[in-house]
Amino acid sequence: MKTIEVKKPSGYFTQIGPAHPALKEPVMFNLDVEGERIIKADFAPGMSHRGIEWMGLRRNCIQVIYLAERICGICGITHSISFVRAVEQIAQIQVPVRAHYIRSIVGELERIHSHLLWAGVAAHELGFDSAFYLAWRVRENVMDLVEYLTGNRVHYAMIQIGGVRRDITREQFPRIEESMKFFDNAYDQLARVFLDDTTVQMRCRDCGVLTYEEARQLCPVGPTARASGIKKDVRVDHPYAGYADLDIEYMTPDRLTGEVRGDVYDRIVVRLLEVKQSIALVRQLLEQMPDGPLLAIPKPAVLLAKLKGAAGEAVGRHEAPRGEVMHYVRLEAGKDEPVSWKVKASSYSNYLSWIPMMEGEQIADIPIIAASIDPCISCTDRVALVQDGNRRVLTKAELHRLSVEKTRRIQASLSAR
Amino acid sequence: MSVNEILLAAGGALIMAFFSMVGGLWFAGIDRVLAARMQARIGPPVRQPFLDIAKLMIKQNVVPANAIPWLFNGAPVVALASAVTILLYIPMAGIPGLPILQGHGDLVLIMYLLILPALAMVAGGLAAGSPYATIGAQREMVTMIAYELPLAATIIAFAWKFASLGIEHPFSLATVAAQPVWTLVGPVGFMGLLLLLVTMLLVVPGELGRIPFDAPEAETEIAGGLLVEYSGRNLALFTLSLAVKTIVVTSLIVGLFFPWNLTDILAVACCATTAAMINLAFFILKLLVVMFFSVTLVRISVARFRINQVVDVYWKILGVLALLGMFLVMADALF
Amino acid sequence: MTFPIVPDLLSSLFKKPNTNPFPAPQLPPTVTGLLDEVNQGKAELNPPVPAPERLRGKMTYNRETCIGCNLCIKVCPAHAIEAIPAVKKVRFYVSQCIQCGQCTEICPKQCLALSGEFLNASHDRYDRSLIVER
Repeated sequence: MKTIEVKKPSGYFTQIGPAHPALKEPVMFNLDVEGERIIKADFAPGMSHRGIEWMGLRRNCIQVIYLAERICGICGITHSISFVRAVEQIAQIQVPVRAHYIRSIVGELERIHSHLLWAGVAAHELGFDSAFYLAWRVRENVMDLVEYLTGNRVHYAMIQIGGVRRDITREQFPRIEESMKFFDNAYDQLARVFLDDTTVQMRCRDCGVLTYEEARQLCPVGPTARASGIKKDVRVDHPYAGYADLDIEYMTPDRLTGEVRGDVYDRIVVRLLEVKQSIALVRQLLEQMPDGPLLAIPKPAVLLAKLKGAAGEAVGRHEAPRGEVMHYVRLEAGKDEPVSWKVKASSYSNYLSWIPMMEGEQIADIPIIAASIDPCISCTDRVALVQDGNRRVLTKAELHRLSVEKTRRIQASLSAR
Repeated sequence: MSVNEILLAAGGALIMAFFSMVGGLWFAGIDRVLAARMQARIGPPVRQPFLDIAKLMIKQNVVPANAIPWLFNGAPVVALASAVTILLYIPMAGIPGLPILQGHGDLVLIMYLLILPALAMVAGGLAAGSPYATIGAQREMVTMIAYELPLAATIIAFAWKFASLGIEHPFSLATVAAQPVWTLVGPVGFMGLLLLLVTMLLVVPGELGRIPFDAPEAETEIAGGLLVEYSGRNLALFTLSLAVKTIVVTSLIVGLFFPWNLTDILAVACCATTAAMINLAFFILKLLVVMFFSVTLVRISVARFRINQVVDVYWKILGVLALLGMFLVMADALF
Repeated sequence: MTFPIVPDLLSSLFKKPNTNPFPAPQLPPTVTGLLDEVNQGKAELNPPVPAPERLRGKMTYNRETCIGCNLCIKVCPAHAIEAIPAVKKVRFYVSQCIQCGQCTEICPKQCLALSGEFLNASHDRYDRSLIVER
C-alpha cells in the first residue's frame, strides 16, 4: 500500500468533471492537490440519472428486456441476460440448452468488443491515438460479426424469456471462424502494441495501484478485481448459460507477467487475456453446441400469459465485461409489469476503488485511472437527490430511517389487506 | 543602419511573416494528413488548418471575467511576433538577402528567442484565471527548463567545434551554413553528431508542445491547459505562432545539420533566380523530412509523458545523450 | 526502449485507408447541388457499405391481412405503434421504433416484418416516409 505523506490537511482544491475530456460520461472528481500530486480524492456520481427502472415498472416483462438492453450503450446483452435470468427463475421456465449456448456466444463476442473499445479509450486517455485507432479498427470486425449474427451492431435483441430469438446456424460457422482467426492475429498485435510499448509501461506500471488487501475490502468486480489478484468471476463461480460445460478459468495478470501488482498495466493485461479467452470460448461453444429448440415457450402471447400468473422474487446475475451485473426482479400474480426492478451495474461495485487508486498519484494520471475500471456511469446512476436546486447526499442514518419507514408502510399495507 | 536599410528590413520581415504563416499552416496540414494515413485514416484535406484559422477569425473572442485582459490579449500577439522574429535570423537555403537580419544575431540569441513564444503562452495561461490553465502554465515552465539542457549542449558542441578550428564567429549560424559540420569531424565526432541530431529531433516536440511532451496542453488531462480559455482571434494567433514555430525549429535543425544546397551538390551552374528556386524547393523538402521524423512520427507512435517524466526524459536520457555527443565531438579533435 | 507500433504505422502509410468513405469525399458547397449532379451523371457517390442479410431495418406492414388484434402494441417496448380502433388497424412510427422485431414474432397473421432498409433519417419525425400504415 502506498504511504501518502500529508503535510497539511488540504492543498489546492480542484475539480474534474462532470463534463471533461477525460471523462466519457458525467461524474465529478473533487481533488485536493499539492502541485501535481493528489492528496485526497473523492467523487460525486449521480449526474446522469435516467429513471430507467421507473420506466420498467410501467412495461410488461417482454418490453423490459429491450429497455434493459438500453441501460448500457456498450453491453447490449449484459442487462437483458440478467433480467431474463431473474424472470425465468420466478416463472420457473427451463431454458433449452442450445439457447444457453447461443447466449454465451453472443456474451463472449460482446466481451471481445467491449474490451477492445476499452483498450481504445485507455490509449486515447494516454494520448496514444494510434493505438486507439488500431483497437477500434480491430473492434469493427467483431461489430460486423455481431451484426451478421443478430441483425444489429449494438442492440442485439437476441434474448427472450425462456431462450433466444434467433438461431446461429451451421452455415454461419465459417464466418465466425474467419473472425476468430482474425482475432488470433489481432490479439498478438494488440498485446505487442499495448504491453511492450515503453511509453505505455512508463505511464501504466505502478500507477493507480489497488492492492490485494484494498481490493478485498472494497469488493470490486470483474477485471478490476482480477487485476488485483482476486479470483472472482461469475462464469466460474456460479456457472450459467453455457459456461458450466466449458474450460474457463480466472484471468489474473500473473498468467502473462508472472506477478500481480494491481496497477493500470495489470488491468490492461487482464482485459487482453480475456479477449484471448473469449476467442477460445466461442470456438468451444460452437464445437459443443447441441441441436434443439431455441425457446421454452415459442409463442410470445403464451409467455405473456404465463408471466402474468407468475409471482415471486429473484436475482439474475451475469459476468459483464466490466464485472458482475445483478438484477433484482419481483413479480406479482395478475400483473404484467414487474412490481420491483433493481439494477446493480458492475461499475457500482468498482467506483470506490477509484479513491485508493488516485490518492498519491498525479493529476496527469486521473484520466487513465478513471478509465482503468472501465466505468459505465450512466448505467450505474440510480438516483440523484436534488432538493430546492441543491444536491444532497444521504447519510447512512438517513438511509436507515427511510428504509425502516418503508418497511413499516409495507407491513401496514399488508396487514390491511 | 540607414533608414533605407531599416525600411527594407521591415518590409522583408512582413513578407517573411506572411510566408512563414502560410508555410506553417501548410506544414500543419501535411502533418495531419501524414498522421492520418499512418493511422489508416483518410484524414482532413491539406487546407484544413487554413479553414480552421478562417473559422477562428470569425468566432467570438471570449475573455473570461477573472482574466487580466491586457495580458490575456497581449500574449498571443507576443507569441506570434517573437516566433516570426526568430525566423529573421535563420539562414535559408543560401538565398541572397536571407536571413533578413544577417550578421546581427547568433545561436545564443536564437536560443533565448525560442523561449519567448513559450513564455508568452505561460503569461497568457496564468492571466486566464482558470485552474487548468494555471496547471498548464506551470507545466509549460517546467518543460521549458527541461529541454534547455539538451538544446544548450548541442549548440555548445557546435560552437566548440568551430572555435577549436579557429573559425571566426563560432556562434554564428552563417558559419555553420558555410561549412557543414559533418565535413569537419572524424568518425568519433560523426557518432557524436548523430547523437546530437537525435537529441535535437526530440527537442522539437517539446518546443512545439506536441505528444509525448504536450503535458502543458494535455487534452484529456487538463482540457487544453494553457489554451483552455482561449477562443476566436486569440486562439487563431496562438495556432499561427505554433505553425511559424514549426518552421523555425525545423529550419534551425536543417541549418545546423543539413546546410547543403542542391545546386552545390549537383554543381549546376545556372542563373541566380533558378538556383534560388531550386534551393528553396530543396530546403522545403528538407524541412518536411525533418518535420516528419521529429513531429509526425514521434507524436503518433508514443503515449503522453507525465510532467515529471518529461523532465526525466530531457535531463536523464536526452541530456546525457547530448552531453555524450558533445564529448564525442570534442574527443574527435584529440585523434 | 521498444515502440512496437512504429513498423505498423510506417507500413500503413503505403496502404489504403481503412475508413468507410462518406458518400462524398468532402462536404460539397450544396448538398442538393451535388445530388443534382449525381442525377445528371456528372458526379459519383461512394456506395454504402453492404448491410448483412439479417439486418433489422424499417418496418413493413401488410394492412390487408391485419386483423387489429393489437398484440403488437402490447409488446412494443418503445410505444411506436398506434391503434386505429375505427378500422381495426395499426400505424407505425419509424422514428420511435427501436427495430427489436418483437411485434413480428407475436403477430398471429404474420403481417409484420423488418426490411433491410436502414437509411431512415429525415428532418421531420412525422415525415410521410417515417409513418408506416400500409
